[in-house]
Amino acid sequence: MRPPQDTVISRRWFLERMAWITTAAAGADALVPRPLFGAERTREYLREIPASNNTLQQVSELTELTISETVDFLRRGVVSPEDLVRAHVDRIDRYDQFYRAYADRPSLDALLASTRSGQDGSYQPLKGVCLAPKDNFYTTDMLTEGGSLVFEGFQPHYDATAVASMRSAGGLIIGKAQMGNLAGGRAQVYGTTIPTTRNAWTPNHVNYSPGGSSSGTGTAVAARMAVAGLGTQTGGSVVGPGNAQGLTCIKPTFGRISLHGVIPLSYTRDHVGPMARNVMDAAILLQVLAHSDPNDPRTRGLPPAPNYVESAVPTLGLNTPVRWPTRVGVLPGWTDPNDEGVARMRGEFLRELESMGNVQLVGEITLPEQWEELTSQPLGGSHGDPTAFFIESLRRDVRLFGDRLPRFLNGMLQSADTYVKVQQARMLLLHRIQTQLFNQCDVVLTEGSGAFDGTGMPVLCMPIGFDTDPSSGMSVPRGVNLAAPPFGEERLFAVAAAWQARTDYHTVRPEDPVG
Amino acid sequence: MRGNAIHPPSDEELNVYIRTRYQLLGVDISVLPESDPDAPMDQERLLENGRSILRQEVVAADFDIDPQFNLPVPHPAPFVAWTEEVEQ
Repeated sequence: MRPPQDTVISRRWFLERMAWITTAAAGADALVPRPLFGAERTREYLREIPASNNTLQQVSELTELTISETVDFLRRGVVSPEDLVRAHVDRIDRYDQFYRAYADRPSLDALLASTRSGQDGSYQPLKGVCLAPKDNFYTTDMLTEGGSLVFEGFQPHYDATAVASMRSAGGLIIGKAQMGNLAGGRAQVYGTTIPTTRNAWTPNHVNYSPGGSSSGTGTAVAARMAVAGLGTQTGGSVVGPGNAQGLTCIKPTFGRISLHGVIPLSYTRDHVGPMARNVMDAAILLQVLAHSDPNDPRTRGLPPAPNYVESAVPTLGLNTPVRWPTRVGVLPGWTDPNDEGVARMRGEFLRELESMGNVQLVGEITLPEQWEELTSQPLGGSHGDPTAFFIESLRRDVRLFGDRLPRFLNGMLQSADTYVKVQQARMLLLHRIQTQLFNQCDVVLTEGSGAFDGTGMPVLCMPIGFDTDPSSGMSVPRGVNLAAPPFGEERLFAVAAAWQARTDYHTVRPEDPVG
Repeated sequence: MRGNAIHPPSDEELNVYIRTRYQLLGVDISVLPESDPDAPMDQERLLENGRSILRQEVVAADFDIDPQFNLPVPHPAPFVAWTEEVEQ
């Protein structure tokens, strides 16, 4: 006889927790159950990573290879993981004194030893791929300092689930990337406002921002010191540096990627986001990372991850069609920014989009009711979130928090009734975005990502051109943010795949530093 | 309707409230300089931010939302899967 449902559910939860506790008791290094990078279906999707059109002779440097090219070149046997590691370490040794993208790095010997994992024949789609997670992801072999004095010298005893997933897929953590203080602003010398990480496009000009707070990952990937990386986004911190450095990044639907082992800023708004040089690489990383995690209940009970890799393959046909018929809208004011150059670029982008097959440009959409109230402070914010996690550090010494102190103390001033109302407003906003915004379009172009961060909807950024930074005189990339309804990642990848099939902004690399 | 005794608190009153709240919870802000624009943070800026947060409480309290149709949900996007509003 089938048992009643309550016993099934509670027993499953109990068994998982007991497995975790038993494993933990066996030793700190084995705290986390082995998170594989996905179900068999995910492995099948990853086997469909398309072949590269390039030969090794056509590639200027090994550090120029993307994830999909690395997979293909390894498959063909024309490079080895050891070659790739050495090329990246050489480049970091030579140039990171200018970029200052890394906070901590493993030794070359440790990296070379890591390339020998998976010799049991297990499938490793990221074999030899050098990756740079932000310094708020726990790593057993490197410090995790969160860009802050609060975590100075912190050595975790387990890997974040996202890091463990990348490693189990063969990925190599080439270093921990610098970040803004506790996931806010650009990377700085801990406890000060002195900037460290440079934008990869202006390595000799410190004043031009690399974007925050995933600054180091953005710079490492753009400067070819990592093939791709992971950032986190609570309020634009993946797409910000992504747009500032010409990258293609995806902040997926909340819960798609485990946050276990990530220093939290907000339990309700943090997202892990792949940062890459093109849409295929962003899709591959999401494919590896989008799985349920027993240690993060927010990842449970979601629809299975679909075939992201396929959605990032451009479809053949007249006018580079998007894979699915897609209505594209823009938020009011998006076509009319203050910067004339950006306005011109966005206009050209829209004209190009309109000429693509399967795209219907619907223009400015009508905003949902009460948009302004629901997306601005206090209802659209997350004042109360960080305080509880950091209370002991706040008691120890508030100076550890530097310029970010108010953000961490605010929870002491926000009342419980306001906190409840923020969450009511957040749910109301989600329903209104679904029924009053995404009834007009399937994808929307947006200046900021705040409304979509708070409700947990996916946002993708990608480059659409170059402009001149007036202060340095350097050519710098400009990008766009595209948002979609919950679980709309495939749609975003499909639009980006079509765009990148007919443009080459994403392939342009910055000049090396001078000096 | 609010009675005559209700008046918007002054900056000074809010500052006392903020300092008392931090003190109650064991957080010492006196280690920060009182006012130093060159320091990463000073008490003046911290209190200014705190007053802004407290005054925003009024905005939230005044926001009229039907409590029967709008439950508080910390994670709205996956909620649409958990409530079967998207196909599994």
